Amino acid sequence: MDQRILEFIGDLRRAEIRISPSEALDALAASAEVGLGDRETFKATLAATLIKEFRDQPTFDRLFNLYFLDLEALGEGLKKALGPEDPRVQDLLDDLMADENMELDELTELLMRGQGSEMEMAIRSGGQNAGLERLMYFLQVGFFSRRISDKFDWSAIEGDLERIMKALEQRGLDPGQLARIRNYLELRLEAFKRMIRQHVERELERRAYRQGEKLTREVLADKPLFALTPDEISQMKSVVARLARKIKDALALRQRQEHKGRLDSRRTTRKSLQYGGVPMEIFLKRRHREKPKLITICDVSDSVRNASRFMLQLVWSLQECFSRVRSYVFVSEIAEVTQAFNTYPVERAIEWALKGAPVDYHCRSDFGFAFSQFTKTELDSLDRKTTILMLGDARNNYNDPQAWALRLIRERVKGIIWLNPEGQWGWGIGDSVMPLYAPSCDFVRECRTIGQLGEVVDNLVHHWWRRGR
Amino acid sequence: MFESVEEVQQRFRDARYIASRRVSTVVFLAARMGRPVLIEGPAGVGKTELAKTLSEITARPLIRLQCYEGLDEGKALYEWKYAKQLLYTQLLRDRIGELIADAPSLPDAVAKIAGQEDAFFSYRFLSPRPLLAAIQAEQPVVLLVDEIDKAEPEFGTVRAKHIPLVVLTSNNARELSDGLKRRCLHLFIDFPAPADELQIIRLKVPEVPEQLARAVVSAVQKIRAMDLRKLPSVSESLDWARSLVILNARELDPGIVESTLTMLVKHEKDLERVKGSLDKVLAE
Repeated sequence: MDQRILEFIGDLRRAEIRISPSEALDALAASAEVGLGDRETFKATLAATLIKEFRDQPTFDRLFNLYFLDLEALGEGLKKALGPEDPRVQDLLDDLMADENMELDELTELLMRGQGSEMEMAIRSGGQNAGLERLMYFLQVGFFSRRISDKFDWSAIEGDLERIMKALEQRGLDPGQLARIRNYLELRLEAFKRMIRQHVERELERRAYRQGEKLTREVLADKPLFALTPDEISQMKSVVARLARKIKDALALRQRQEHKGRLDSRRTTRKSLQYGGVPMEIFLKRRHREKPKLITICDVSDSVRNASRFMLQLVWSLQECFSRVRSYVFVSEIAEVTQAFNTYPVERAIEWALKGAPVDYHCRSDFGFAFSQFTKTELDSLDRKTTILMLGDARNNYNDPQAWALRLIRERVKGIIWLNPEGQWGWGIGDSVMPLYAPSCDFVRECRTIGQLGEVVDNLVHHWWRRGR
Repeated sequence: MFESVEEVQQRFRDARYIASRRVSTVVFLAARMGRPVLIEGPAGVGKTELAKTLSEITARPLIRLQCYEGLDEGKALYEWKYAKQLLYTQLLRDRIGELIADAPSLPDAVAKIAGQEDAFFSYRFLSPRPLLAAIQAEQPVVLLVDEIDKAEPEFGTVRAKHIPLVVLTSNNARELSDGLKRRCLHLFIDFPAPADELQIIRLKVPEVPEQLARAVVSAVQKIRAMDLRKLPSVSESLDWARSLVILNARELDPGIVESTLTMLVKHEKDLERVKGSLDKVLAE
């Protein structure tokens, strides 16, 4: 049984559920404690030791049902197929087996009195060296079923059945009864053959399941943002929310830890005067950290709109990590959209920023114009605590890049971070002016997928704004 | 402690706690394997109650550590009685002076005092907080770490006299670390199915008429399906049933529901919402 649990764990892992070796050991030890008697208990045992995230529960349920057959239901099905006379005929056969010492093939014995579980085991071991791991398409089911059934010696079984019938005949059973028994045995044989096919089909389903599961998850995190469908965008929202929460948790933990400072000897000594110089109360220095200010500037032209959407969502979910967040969007004109975030819920505010802000969404993007406009109106509000988070592909449509404007901005702020949703290989080719802007930036990163976006923001939160920089 | 999963289930039942097969299995495993259990689930489904009942049926004292924002290992584990230590050093000043009187140099004096350090850093000056109390107890205990998600999960290791039965609860306010989850058996308790909730109400509020209990369960289940800020918990549906009994209600009519609804739904906005669709909630 341990072997099968381990195989099952392998399946879970392939479906992207993280299970550590110690958890696998726990599962083995725990299932040894409860035994296999009750299917529900067994299932609860595996779930408690292996599944630690609620979101993995549905995957677990499905795989469990595929992997650990409901043998009771199977037995019921078998009984139904065999009809109501089952017990009487079975008694007759049992008597026969007890009285006469017949040499029978293993499989015949199984057929004569085997339980569903034993048959299942026999089929499974037959499947092991039939190359089932190469099973991939539905068309192969017939082929592999035949391969497994070839493992069994059917002629020996037929022979055994003939001998059994003869022995029964000698016992003087009437022809009607004999026919019923023959029918019964043939039904069992038939059921066994059906089980082989079912086994192969289930195996196929298992494989297909874990591959499909893996595909959707991998593809979404690594799919270029511009290529996401509306459906996928709504799926990604929850991914981004989780990402934000994780980063926030880590950050909150760190901020709390930094509350503990060194000994404040001045206050401690002053207080100790009350107690005749004995330091009864101890004071610690609190390190004060000013939260950074953040300005996001997003290109919202069609080509990078998705990237802007997720970045805005991420930044706004992390708002409490900053003392102030201001957001601007531009295509060629630039406009502040902070106000929208203060009045609308995030979702609606983002939609508004991407579609309804007072900028012309239909012109061609012009980074140079946006920057020069920004220096005219906002330069005075910048200070050394501010970081500018810039998102855009720097495709300037052959307009004047006006790199001087970005340099001017850089002189006023703590730093400029540029995230480019275009692959690095394209920077500087065609109308991309990334190389002209890069010298003014402290940090330039490619940010094509949600995975990369998460990495970058995580990196920023943990390193860039460290020590209250 | 327990022989079988069935026994766990039965004993919980005897203690008036309806434990599903899942719950009993996990409790059984925790007791057998000496593993902590991490219980997650919405507020008010009986996570804390489970630990209390467990301590009751195993006749082990319950030590509870209520976590809160800012709780660190110092407060959870132990604290030095700093004032007492100081007081003793002050009182014993002369003895300490004698001790180091014949030391020829400063380093020797320091070494002498260091030799006596144990006197001041011993259990006498230690005030055990729940965690230390749990692992040092003379008899086995049940340790309940309530709302672990609110604390900072960084604790060291000490050898326990008896391994306590550890129950951790979490409302999922934030993600817990993988390491913590790896070491625990995991149990997710959701709101009970209608049949289970009916059983719970019958058990805890036996005076409620059968007909009314059914109506209460069906109404509560429907309210939970609505999009509310806070869904009614099991304890709240029990409160509601009790208040209906006190008011001598025989069935749920809109009037009595409206006047008692605050037992069940606590937010102003939620309340309006439920009242708005009261006929749907009460429909059979």
